[in-house]
Order: sequence, then C-alpha cells, then structure tokens
Amino acid sequence: MRVVVVGNGMVGSRFVEDLRARAPQAEITVVGAEEYEPYNRVLLSEVVAGAVGVASITLPTSDVDGVRVLRGTSATALDRTRRVLVLDSGEELPYDHLVLATGARARIPSVPGLERLPAGVHPLRSLDDAREIVAATVNTRRALVLGGGVLGLEVACGLRRRGLAVTLVHGGPHVMDRQLGDGAGAAALAGLTRLGIEQRTGVVAAEVHVSTFGTAATWGAPDGATADVATTDTGAVSRRVTGVRLTDGSTVAADLLILTAGTVPDVDLAERAGLEVRRGVVVDADLTTADRAVHAIGDCAEPPEGGTGLIAQGWEQSRRLAAVLAGADAPTSSPLGGTDVVRLKAHGLDVVAMGAPVAGARTVTLSDPAAGRHVEVSVADGAVVAVACVGAPEVGADLTTAYTRATPVPADPAQLLLRPVRGAATTAEPSPTLMPDRATVCRCNGVTKGDIVRCWEHGARSTDDVARATRATTGCGGCTEAVCGLVDWLAKASPDPSAGAPHSRTANGAQPASTSPAAVTLSEPVPSGSGTAQRRVPSSRS
Amino acid sequence: MPAGPGTRTHCPYCALQCAMTLSPPDDDARAVGAPVTVAGRDFPTNRGGLCQKGWTSAQVLRAPDRLTTPLVRDADGELRPASWDEALDVVADGVRRLQAEHGREAVAVFGGGGLTNEKAYALGKFARVVLRTPFIDYNGRFCMASAAAGANRAFGIDRGLPFPLADVGAASAVVLLGSNLAETMPPSTAHLGDVRAQGGLVVVDPRHSATAALTDDGGGLHLQPVPGTDLAVLLGLLHVVLGEGLADEEYLAARTTGADEVRRSVAAWWPERVEQVSGVPADLVRRTARMLAARAALSRREGRGGVVVLTGRGVEQSSQGTATVSAAINLALALGLPGRPGSGYGAITGQGNGQGGREHGQKSDQLPGYRRIDDPAARAHVARVWGVDPDTLPGPGVPAVELLRHLGTPAGPRALLVHGCNLVVSAPDADRVRERLRALDLLVVCDLVPSETTRLAHVVLPVTQWAEEEGTMTSLEGRVLRRRRALPPPPGVRSELDVLHDLAARLGVPTGFPTDPAEVFDELARASAGGVADYSGLSHARLDAAEAAGQALHWPCPEGSAGTPRLFTESFPTPDGRARMVAVDHHGPADDLRRDAPIYLITGRVLQHYQSGAQTRRVPALATAQPEPYVELHPLLADRLGVSDGELVEVTSARGTAVAAAHVTPSARPDAVFMPFHWSGEGSANRLTSDATDPVSGMPEFKVCAVQVRAVGETSRGAADELEVVR
Ligand SMILES: Cc1cc2nc3c(=O)[nH]c(=O)nc-3n(C[C@H](O)[C@H](O)[C@H](O)COP(=O)(O)OP(=O)(O)OC[C@H]3O[C@@H](n4cnc5c(N)ncnc54)[C@H](O)[C@@H]3O)c2cc1C
Ligand code: SF4
Repeated sequence: MRVVVVGNGMVGSRFVEDLRARAPQAEITVVGAEEYEPYNRVLLSEVVAGAVGVASITLPTSDVDGVRVLRGTSATALDRTRRVLVLDSGEELPYDHLVLATGARARIPSVPGLERLPAGVHPLRSLDDAREIVAATVNTRRALVLGGGVLGLEVACGLRRRGLAVTLVHGGPHVMDRQLGDGAGAAALAGLTRLGIEQRTGVVAAEVHVSTFGTAATWGAPDGATADVATTDTGAVSRRVTGVRLTDGSTVAADLLILTAGTVPDVDLAERAGLEVRRGVVVDADLTTADRAVHAIGDCAEPPEGGTGLIAQGWEQSRRLAAVLAGADAPTSSPLGGTDVVRLKAHGLDVVAMGAPVAGARTVTLSDPAAGRHVEVSVADGAVVAVACVGAPEVGADLTTAYTRATPVPADPAQLLLRPVRGAATTAEPSPTLMPDRATVCRCNGVTKGDIVRCWEHGARSTDDVARATRATTGCGGCTEAVCGLVDWLAKASPDPSAGAPHSRTANGAQPASTSPAAVTLSEPVPSGSGTAQRRVPSSRS
Repeated sequence: MPAGPGTRTHCPYCALQCAMTLSPPDDDARAVGAPVTVAGRDFPTNRGGLCQKGWTSAQVLRAPDRLTTPLVRDADGELRPASWDEALDVVADGVRRLQAEHGREAVAVFGGGGLTNEKAYALGKFARVVLRTPFIDYNGRFCMASAAAGANRAFGIDRGLPFPLADVGAASAVVLLGSNLAETMPPSTAHLGDVRAQGGLVVVDPRHSATAALTDDGGGLHLQPVPGTDLAVLLGLLHVVLGEGLADEEYLAARTTGADEVRRSVAAWWPERVEQVSGVPADLVRRTARMLAARAALSRREGRGGVVVLTGRGVEQSSQGTATVSAAINLALALGLPGRPGSGYGAITGQGNGQGGREHGQKSDQLPGYRRIDDPAARAHVARVWGVDPDTLPGPGVPAVELLRHLGTPAGPRALLVHGCNLVVSAPDADRVRERLRALDLLVVCDLVPSETTRLAHVVLPVTQWAEEEGTMTSLEGRVLRRRRALPPPPGVRSELDVLHDLAARLGVPTGFPTDPAEVFDELARASAGGVADYSGLSHARLDAAEAAGQALHWPCPEGSAGTPRLFTESFPTPDGRARMVAVDHHGPADDLRRDAPIYLITGRVLQHYQSGAQTRRVPALATAQPEPYVELHPLLADRLGVSDGELVEVTSARGTAVAAAHVTPSARPDAVFMPFHWSGEGSANRLTSDATDPVSGMPEFKVCAVQVRAVGETSRGAADELEVVR
C-alpha cells in the first residue's frame, strides 16, 4: 500500500506515526512545504510569550525507516485519474491512498495597507512567523493585535508578558465572542484590563498606516524577514507599519501589528483537483472524500460534524484514518462527550469554553465580576453540554473532564460552579473538646479519642502509658502531638487522678463528647476552627 | 542469633518489613490468644514503629481455623483430612499422570511475593528441574511487574529503591505517584516529616487519600488526576521541565541516552492539554514542575536536600503501567536525580518479599539472580549449580494473567500448584479465575488458613508462618533481612521446603531440595553469583553477624562485597553505562467510560488488611476496625444516586457485579468510586476489575475500569456473610 501524505504539520506527522504503528508494511511518503521537522504549532503562542524555547517544540520526527520525508517541498497538483501527486520539484508520486493534511492559513483581512504585508505586520501560524515576531519585539514599543479570538488573546497576553504596550482590537462586542456570552466576555475583558492590555471592541481596522523608508538595504531587516520587504514599481522600498485607523475614526499607533483574524483551511490542491470543498475539504465520518482514494484530516478537513480548528479533533481523525487504512476495526465509538474544548494558554488569564447549549438545557451561572470570575454551565440529560469559564482555572479543569467524559452531573447542577470541597480523609480534629469520641487519632493503629479517654480512665497518665495500652503513636509517630494534647487535656480535666474518674462513664462512651468532662468543655479556649475564620477576614483586603 | 531477649525478626506482611521482636506471651498477648508478644524494634526503616497489622500479627499464628492437617477432596467432592503421605501421594500421582497424558506443560506453578527468598528459589527450581514446566509465575505480576520492566529497560536493573529508605527522610522534595503509603505502610511516613515541613511533598492520586492529606496545610501539593491519566500528568511535568529549560542538561548529556526522543515526545504534552486529559489544572502542573526543578538544582549546588520520585501500584497497575514508570524515570533523569546521593527514582514494593520474590526464579522468564531464562550463559550457569543439563531446562513461560486464562482449557495446564497466594481474591476478573480453577484436574494449594482458593483445591497443604520459620526476605530497599523462628509450628504443619523436598523425591528427584533454609540460601547464593541480583557474598551467618554489628547488606552483594546501599553512583548497569530514556505516550485505560458505565472504579488497600485479607480478616481488632468491603463515593455522587452513608450500593462493570456499603467521603472524586480489594464474596472488588494487561510487563489493569453504580436500597448486612464465604 502506497500512502502519500501532503502536509507534515501536527496532524500529518502524527498520522505517519499512527499509520506506521497500525500498518508497518505501508510505504509512506510525506511531503511538507515547511523546511522544518514537524513542530508543535500550538506552542507558537508560548514561544511568542517567551515561555518556552523554540528548541523544545520539535515533535517526534517522521524521518524513520520506511518513511520518505520530503521537507521544504510543496505539492502543486493532484491528478486523481492517474493517481499521482505532482510536486514543485516536478517529481510525481503515485499513490494508492492520498491523505491531505495541509492545515490552514492565517486569514489576512482585506484592509487597505495589507495588500502586501508591510514590515512589522505578521500573522502567527508558522515557526517563521513566531521567530519574526520574537525578533521584532526587541525594537518594538507598541503592539496592536487585530482580532480578539483565542489566538489574539494569547498573543496579546504574550506580548504584554514581554513588556510591550498592547492594544487588542476586536470587531465583536467582546473578546472571544464566538465562545463566550456577555457575562463571561466581561470577565475576560476585566482580566485583560488587569494585565494592562488596552482593548477596543466593536471596531475593526479601516486602514493600516504605513510609512515608506529608503531602500530595503538601508532598513536592515532582520534575517528571514525579507518576505516583508515589498518590491514596488518604483524600486526596492521598505514599507513599515506605523499604526491603524479604526472604523470609529480613531487611530492607534503601533510598530508591531499581529493579525489574528482567524484561519482559512488550505484547500487549494483539493479544489483544483475537483474535490468537493466547502470551508474545508468535505469528508465522511471515515475521513474520506467522494474519491475513495483521497482523504483529508486536520484543519483542512470538513467532517460531517464540522471542523473545529483544534488539534484534538485532528489527532482523533489521524487515529481513525490510520485504523481505516490499516483495515482494522475503526474505533467505532466516538468520544463520549465533546472534544471542542477551547482553552486559552495565556499567562495571567484563565479562560476555557466548550460545547454549545442545546434546546432544553439548564444553565446555571456564577457571576463574580469584581474577582474577574464567571462560570456558566449548561446541563442536559444529566451531562454537561456547554461551559464558559473565566478566572476559575480549577473549576474549569473539573468541568473539562466532566464534559469530555460525560460523567454524571450532581443532582443540583449549581454544585458545578464551585470546586466541590475536598476534605481530608480522616485526620484528627484539632480541639480535644470538639473532637467526637469516634474520631481517629492514630491512624496506624486505629485508635480513637474514645479509646484514649477510656485508657485514661483505666489509669494511664502519660503519653507513654497510652502508647503502651493502645499503641497510639507507635506507627508513623504522626499523632504524637495529638495524643500529648489529649493527655494534657485529660490531666487538666481531672487534676487529681487519685479521685479517680468515674469508670461507669466508659459504658456510654459512644455518645459524642459524653466522655468530655463538662468543666473542660467550658474552659476550653476558642476552637481553632474559628481561628481560621478570623484569619480569613484580613486576607480579603489584599 | 544476636544477643538480647526475644527473637529479632520482621513483620510477616508488607515490604517495609518493620523490625520486630517476638518474646514469650505477656498477659495482653494471652488475652487475644497470641502465642508471642510482638514489640516494634528500632530499625532505619520503621524507626521502632509498627502498624496495627504488625502489632496484631501474632494472633494469626493461633487463628481458630488454622490449617493443621492436609486436606484431600474425596469421591464425594468434600475436602477431608488426610495424612501428609496420603496427600503428597495424591499430588505426585496426579502430576505424574497428567504429565504422562498431556506432557510436562500440563502442570503449572503459581508463587507469591510473600514467600521467603529460600522458598521462592526452591519453588522456581522445583518447576524447572522436577516438573520441567515453563509455566511458573507469581502474584508479583499483579504488583511489581511494571516497575520491574520500567526500571530494567532504563537502568538495566530492578531494585525497588536503589537507595536506602532513610534517604527519603533527608530529601527536600518527594513525589509519590499512586502510592498510598500512609495507609499501606504507615511507619514509612515518619520519613516524610522534614519534606512536609518544607512544603515539598507532591502526591499524585485521584483520591484525597490519607497520603494525599499529608500535603495539606502547606505540606506540599496534591495533584488529583482523573483515574488512569497519571501518565499524562507525568508527561506534562516533563514538558515543563524540558520546555522551560529547567532540566539538568549536563547530566542528560553525560549519563543518559534517548533524551532527544523524549524531548520531542513530550512536546505534544503542554500543560493545557494535560489539564484537558487529566483534570489537573495547567497551572498546578507548571508549579509542581518548577518546584521540583528548583529543589533539584539547589540540591546539586548545596549537596543536600535531594529530590526523590517514587511510584506505587496506583500508577503501575495499568495497561500503560510500564510506560508510566518510564515517564517517572524520565522525569527523574531530566532532573538529574538517579545516582546522586540523596536523590533518585524508586518503586515502592508492596508485598513482604515482593523484591526477593522476583529475583530468584518465580517469574516465567527468569532464573535465579534475576537472570533471563532465554540467555544461554545464564542457563548454563544455573544448570551447573543445579547439576542438570542446560537443555533440560524449560524456556520462558507466560505471565500470570495469561497463565490463569489458559488454566483448564484444552491446550492449557491441567494442574496448578499454588504457594502463598489467594488467587480467587487477588487476581483480576475474579469470577473468571474461579471458573478456570474449577476447570483444573488438580489444584494444590499451600496455605496457613482456609482461603477462598483452598476451598476450590483438590489438595490443601498446611504450611508454616513467619514466626515458625527461618529464612530471608529482601525489603523494599533491597536490603536482605533475616526472618527468624520464635516458636515451633503447630503439629501437622510443615514448611514449604519440606513439601517441595518430599514431592521432588516422589517425582524421582531425591536430592537437590534441602529442607534447611540456610543450606537453601547457600545454594541460592551460588546460583545468583554473577547475576544482576548477586547474593553470592551472603549467607545466614553473615547476615546475622552484620545485623549484630549494625550493618546493612543490600544486594548486589557478590563475594567479598560489603553490599550496595546506593546504586548508580558511578554508572548504570547497561551496556554503555548510561540510563536509557524511553519515549512513551498516554492512551488511557483499556476499559474507559461508556454510556452504561459512566463512573471510574479504582481499587486499593486499607491499613488494616493485607492483600486478599486471608490473614488480617482473622484478626478481630483488624476485622472490627475494617469489617467489610465498602464503596467510597463523593457526596455529590452519593446525592445524585440517592445513597447515604452505610447504605448498600451495587457496582457493575462489563465483567461482574459487586455489592457493598457506601462510605460517603469528600476525599473521593465525584467521577470515581473506590473499593478496597481485600474481600471475597459479593463485595469483592476484583469481580469488577479488568484483566487487560500492560503490553510490556503483563501487569493487569487493576486500578481503573468503568462501572455503573446504583443504590440497592438496603443498609449493610454487616460482616456475617463475609466470614461465611471463608469457611
Ligand atoms: C499560535 C497557535 C496556537 C494554537 N493553539 C491551539 C490550542 O491551544 N489548542 C488547539 O487545539 N489548537 C490550537 N491551535 C490550532 C492547531 O495548531 C491546529 O489545529 C493544528 O496545527 C492543525 O494541524 P494540521 O496538521 O491540520 O495543520 P498544520 O499544523 O497547519 O500543518 C499543515 C502543514 O501542511 C503544509 N502544507 C500545506 N499545503 C501544502 C502543500 N501543498 N504541499 C506540502 N505541504 C503543504 C503546511 O506548510 C503545514 O506544515 C493553534 C494554532 C496556532 C497557530
Ligand atoms: S504491615 Fe508493613 S507497615 Fe505494618 S507493621 Fe508490617 S511491615 Fe510494618
């Protein structure tokens, strides 16, 4: 079986791995336009933020025995009648199965000034883009991010982390309006404001201002940035962004403009080969086009449920197609819950959103604008079907696993809005008086407070006595303090041991606190529980 | 025996092997019917402490239903008392007949991680020399197999802790993955005091277990992943360490191979993805990784306060257990820990002699000294010690779960000898195991007390307990310890060494099976010479002398050596002397949630019971404290199901159903229930567990499967029917 893969990106390279695992005998060729080994595109925003190094985003190589890898090579045509793929080198690759994994491109808005990208203007899709942005930040003071979707937010926060002044421009009513409703959107805006990111919503770019400098040579563009140098009719001239005029007439100055206005699936090859293309290359549930020898996975594909542009979907498709081509039983069951989890990777702002409320869903909301927190959960048929969660990362993490696995939700869905209290297993309670008799003091030996009280009543007077009789403290020793405390408390309660504690008490020792001498209960200082409560009060000022 | 009153020995139960002294019974002991008084003894591992199991261990010596006479199933299918000769004849005749009819492979052996080194060795030899069957394996497969496979492929050696446990006490950070040692070996938590004081304890566990609770109040960090996703968490930690430039690159370059592939493989596990898979917040993953890296760097500079990464069954008993161990080792290597004094990676062995039990030939693919049975040089050496032709030694058999699956099938073994294992309770998919055992022509079980497995046996042989025998155990830190006899066994009870000797003689091998443990040990030492687990410098006499002098002897201990407390200080026992990093990926549990099984089941142990509970369920104090099986569930789940504390719930998996009392506790995750596995009968957790296994180690996936949970609507019926099952 000859399999040719177009695109050596995140999904294409994973597919090669998956197929090799399933069908080691397949002859695989993978063609990738990028020069690089496959890398983790998702982490490019982390590279821009300076949080991870470029060296650590390289993914497992496809360059293994039995796989031919053509890097820096583009496929230029697909001849379905002859079943060959034509490369820019002129080479033709015959195939039994052709897999399109060409991904997506950044959408460049049609705004005057962006017909050709001037210097200082970058999309963020490829490693080269990320490198150029990082290089540019060195000499940049003011950055403008055009488009307030997930990527726009990540870039804005990342550049802010690098100390740039950042303005985020977004046409919608609030950022991430595809995923977030008004309340969550407001919380996200508040979060951005806290990070010092200026926002302009409800407006879009009307024109990109560009200044023209002498020749390219005198400008001294950084290495690799030559693509930004446009050659005009009058000769080599460097054009550079200076700012953006917005649709409300105002102008924002910027020496770095990042375009994060969405992506468009890369469907050229499929389109020219006469395959059905809507937004992406149309495929069935088995990732196959009307031509049974041609498949599409990842961002370039449009499966029946629609493409999400998220990597989880692409990797799931890769696994499935590998199984289909290997002739194995394709994993029949799709994941239980949804996989369309959008999780912002921004330093200082936590946003996660998933799913969509369905008819008849019950939606509960926690709105806490002052703390920049907003949690909105929709539940239907006993499972979480949609979430928008801002500023509550731990709740967000719990909701994500509940959503993706469709685990049963609590009887009252409002319980989902906060982290369920996670108590300690069975640690000794702090106050001897408040501790019920059945509370375990020594876990290792299963000794309860009641046991120690009874032991005292039978004449034990020191921690050693108690240890001998009950073996408390003789395991890990962790309860020594608690046992000492109990012995002290008992000593205070009956200062004169010769008077003898009424032994008849042991009979009803099971009643909580019944063995606690009343005098002690009254003289006991404030239980430490309320001490914690007091400590909380001042902390709310901070 | 060293001076001092009483017999200096070690606890019969877990791998911590707490030191104890046995002396004539005092009033307290007599009051509970114990023939000796147990006292904790100061020792580097237990520091004088014992848990409740240890304190009460002597009561099992006089368990009212202790087996003291062999039992043979008669024509009516009833087990009735028999003489030793009669019973051994039945076994020998059966073995001979079945092997004559179906070949040598018709007889299989199943051992245990509780057997002394001497017994484990003799059992392996018996299988290879007398029965000449390849089919021997042991319950350590349910326990240490993934840790062993992971350590072997990385370090070229598998010793649970490659350093003394006391090193943990001096560490500045300790990561515990899937180990609930506050519950399973409480005295060991004494070593965590300092690290907690520094906020350096990291516990990865889906439950807020007693061990996880040690991280409360500033003791450290608790990462609470969805069951079956620990591997993803580890990959995320590694991603942060490598991605943020926090790794010990010098160490990676000088002491490891494979770092590049690992770096690439974890590039795909950024913290937000880990969060999505595991539910552990991305920020917590980052914080944890940074804390560990900072402390590792500090300890490198200052030469103290190391970092230790430890795994337990929680992460190893998984269909990706070996991969998880590899990921933990990779993390340790990236931080530059293994081989640095005070730092390292280790697996916390569970069973008393889980370590020694896997070194001396009970494993299907091994010969004594941790030698491979398919290695011609190893076969030649061991055959020489055994005085047999190497060609007569069988080849590798199959791991436990596969062995059990084939019992009594047309092509599988027709007879099974079981030593030190209550398979019916402790093996996964227990109902099926019971079925397989029933299909056998001959089931022979050596045990101390009637167990769920002896009930199915054709022949039951009563054997000695710890305080009635001499021998050695190898503890979780690879230290070889002496087990000593404090009192004679009850009349009618014999040691397994006697049993093997007598059976060998009946089967035509009159020599080579001595009954004196010291003599067996000497032969073991010779057989292990030159192997990975080399005991050739050890003998009972040397161990006694060393103990009296306060010296610890850790293997490898070849002739003339003073033992090896710390491994890897110079190099790793791999061909190139470097540790091998193996890139691994997370896939999730084999039996993942379905619409009709939307809750995870996790299983584990409780403090009061050991393994299948055959011993501990007979100690009244333990049975009272933890009388019956239970299902731990979160208040939110309980509320949703309409169950309150103490009511019965029914738990159903694709394999079976169990019913037990609800324990409602916020320490559970709302999407997972927990059941301890010490019980049989209708509350048996292993009726539910999956027998999917790890592709490398053969370890079954005990720890996670998908279940449905519902209220039964009655309150718990108490322990009565539990004991009934054991009769
Ligand atoms: C900065 C950034 C952050 C992101 N963050 C997240 C996130 O947090 N979570 C998430 O789920 N997703 C995220 N994504 C989306 C994710 O990266 C994509 O879903 C994923 O990369 C899709 O993989 P793919 O293989 O389909 O496409 P790509 O990774 O784009 O790979 C396609 C490859 O095909 C090559 N190619 C195209 N045409 C040809 C041709 N004719 N001949 C040869 N080669 C060709 C391209 O050069 C490219 O290398 C992010 C994307 C970006 C840019
Ligand atoms: S069971 Fe383990 S922890 Fe408890 S006393 Fe015995 S060896 Fe020590």
